[in-house]
Amino acid sequence: MPAHGNVETLVTMQPIAVDTGSDDSDGMLVMANGMLVAVLVRLSTSGHEQEGDWFVEVALGPLRAHPAPTFGDLDEATRWMRRHLRA
Amino acid sequence: MQHALIRKLESYETLSDKDRRALNALVPRIRQVGAHVDLAREGDPPDNVHLVLDGFACRYKVLADGKRQIMAYLVPGDFCDLNVFILDQMDHNIGTISQCQVADIPREAIEEITASYPLITRAFWWCALVDEAVLREWLVNMGARAADERIAHLLCELHARLEAVGHSKDDSYAFPFTQTDIADTMGLSNVHVHRTLRDLRGMGLITLNKRVLTILDVERLKDFCKFNANYLHLKNARWIERRSVIWPSQQQRG
Repeated sequence: MPAHGNVETLVTMQPIAVDTGSDDSDGMLVMANGMLVAVLVRLSTSGHEQEGDWFVEVALGPLRAHPAPTFGDLDEATRWMRRHLRA
Repeated sequence: MQHALIRKLESYETLSDKDRRALNALVPRIRQVGAHVDLAREGDPPDNVHLVLDGFACRYKVLADGKRQIMAYLVPGDFCDLNVFILDQMDHNIGTISQCQVADIPREAIEEITASYPLITRAFWWCALVDEAVLREWLVNMGARAADERIAHLLCELHARLEAVGHSKDDSYAFPFTQTDIADTMGLSNVHVHRTLRDLRGMGLITLNKRVLTILDVERLKDFCKFNANYLHLKNARWIERRSVIWPSQQQRG
């Protein structure tokens, strides 16, 4: 269901383990209005330039068009997702 | 000491002393350029021909959203723009990755040397043909290889190219590239680059220490990414005798 006007996209998250072939395995399924739009993974492998940040491991739908930064926390990630899903 | 250009050209053609003297005269103006400095910018009219004698540079474009794509690495002995000076304006940027020693060669000097030295001219053609072959291989790399093979392939290619100009010793070479440089080259995120380099280290294939990359087992790394150096056309990997008898004019006569 697309968001219109000032109706905010409902972004929800669900923890999930993700096999990235590395130590980065703590993940979140990101749903927008009930649809899967991204998988976030916390960068836990030592030596990452952004260790501790949340990384968009997979982007789906409209999010694919936007090069994503990494996020310091999940609120920041939610705000970014909402902004780019609105278009 | 022979400079990197002569070493590179000699990996394509056997040059005479006269050729070497002419090539030495080609690089009187050498300057040091810092890291991350543009040698030529998209839209500029090309001026001199730039030759990298030491260090690493790259060709790149910047997209409207600010994303950078690197299309080529330039290593010692590589011309940045041998034939580009014919164009009205640059269609891409050329910038240094590390500190570089660069020779600025006036375009007239290139025209003079190609008019008088046929072997050098042929070696220059080799350079242009190999640049194209490398670009083709990079297309294959981006389109058809998995992320870990893609990076392994790049490491094998750099090893072969640097060894040909005497800039790799004991399977080790300077590696000033950041994770972001590699990511912008390979169409990957720097997170994936970090994971991949870590995997290659974990498999005992490479080490990366103080910006020096060492390939611990060249054959295994080559096998891992199915690296075939044929596209670099280096003389030591070629069957020169066979190549020299298949010029079309000779074929027609025969």
